Amino acid sequence: MKKSNIATLIVFFLLLPVTLFLGSKLPGRGYYITGTAIIIELMIPFFMAFEGRRPQARELVVIAVMCAIAIAGRSAIPIPNFKAIFAIIMLSGIAFGPEAGFMVGAISAFASNFFYGQGAYTPWQMMAYGAGGMLAGFCFANGRLPKKPLTIAVFGFLATILWVGPLLDCSHIFLMVSVINWNSIIAAFVSGFPVNLSQGICTVLVMLLFGRPLLDKLDRIKVKYGMMEDENGL
Amino acid sequence: MRDAFSKCHPAVNFLFFVGAIGMSVVIQHPAYLLVGLLTGAIYYLLLNGKRGLKTILGLLPVFIILTVINPLLNTLGATPLFYLGSRPYTLEALLYGAVTACMFVAILLWFGCYNKVLTSDKFTCLFGNLIPSISLLLVMVFRMVPNFIRKTQQIIGARKSIGKGISETATTKEKLISGGTVLGALTGWALEGSVVTGDSMRARGYGTAKRSSFMIYRMTWADWILLAVMLTLLGVTIVAACSGQFAAEFVPAIELAPISWGLAAYTCYLLIPPALHIKEAIQWHISRSKI
Repeated sequence: MKKSNIATLIVFFLLLPVTLFLGSKLPGRGYYITGTAIIIELMIPFFMAFEGRRPQARELVVIAVMCAIAIAGRSAIPIPNFKAIFAIIMLSGIAFGPEAGFMVGAISAFASNFFYGQGAYTPWQMMAYGAGGMLAGFCFANGRLPKKPLTIAVFGFLATILWVGPLLDCSHIFLMVSVINWNSIIAAFVSGFPVNLSQGICTVLVMLLFGRPLLDKLDRIKVKYGMMEDENGL
Repeated sequence: MRDAFSKCHPAVNFLFFVGAIGMSVVIQHPAYLLVGLLTGAIYYLLLNGKRGLKTILGLLPVFIILTVINPLLNTLGATPLFYLGSRPYTLEALLYGAVTACMFVAILLWFGCYNKVLTSDKFTCLFGNLIPSISLLLVMVFRMVPNFIRKTQQIIGARKSIGKGISETATTKEKLISGGTVLGALTGWALEGSVVTGDSMRARGYGTAKRSSFMIYRMTWADWILLAVMLTLLGVTIVAACSGQFAAEFVPAIELAPISWGLAAYTCYLLIPPALHIKEAIQWHISRSKI
């Protein structure tokens, strides 16, 4: 068995139950620590799999470049509060597959927080961004969805407001809401919705206008240098 | 002058923040939370100077909003202050809101300190052996981000000089389209460069053997002593927490555990970095006044 598979098994059958058991004994906001620990533990198998297969130098550099573009992208578009980060993460997932999408999302969330400040939300952000990139890679692998401007725009919008945004709101719920019940959870999601919506609109605009040209650039690199060809979408 | 605690080994710094932030999430007792908040604010001020004061004042509205919002969502509690329609606005819920807000602000402050102390080089130094590929990835990203921002400015400049620049009065649509073109140019240039970098790395033997890493930080005896003191104080605090000294109930009625030795241990633990900072400042002052 591969090392990363063993790690996955250990996480699911040992670490998660132990965390849940110990977490239920913690006082106060113990559920925040439990939730964050679970998020971190869920990411371990992905990172282990990535480390375990000794990625080639080319692949590492391309992922690093996509992360850096996702972070530095906001300096290119001179509109305040316009974030292209989700679109770039999803495009990386679409072009280079689910695993690369996850790595680009998680690493760019983590690295950008070194520039803008780490917080209690960092693990949640890594998970949410990574999950967004992975979902994109998974949905578009093997031609499951056509890589047309309209399809990627609709996908980007739905993924942002229904998947990445709510995942980000979860850290709010655990940290800021004082009593967790259905009412306060719904209130937190509703109050997060305008932000998610504006992010979704940014993603749609980038995808519609530049999604296809950017994808072409990424595909061209793949063809020109024969990279990441063994990617078969999980 | 640099902060004394920042000069310690990164492992010591990291463990301290895990303890400080972890404890402040678990605690609900107002006395302990206040200690966490005050020590966090002191250390934040020592690290950031006058600018830090501005941030702390900026957190005040957050504190107030989080406090007053809780009774609106949570109507449990024995002493209603007034009624909004048929929903009671209770004192207990208000206090519980204040406790939540206190915890939230304390965590923000401690994370602010974390960002100042545990810089990216320290993080990669700590985890470089454990996750070599990912820390290499991180180091490359840290290098590329400023580089790409510079390149973006160059592309914008080049576009300006051929008459494709955008003025301040341009519409959002024009700005968006121009920004996208710049982004496309940046992507093409960066990806092309990335493959060259990757090939160059391979040609120099990347991936042929286990990577060794250069450690700039060493555990000195002072670090070991500090670590021992830290772990002792943290251990005492955890024992106190397990024996129920941190217990506090707000709804439906306020019930607080009496304050005892756990508070002293917790305060001492959180005061380690500010104390080191102040000790260094005093020593510096004395040695300067001797000249």
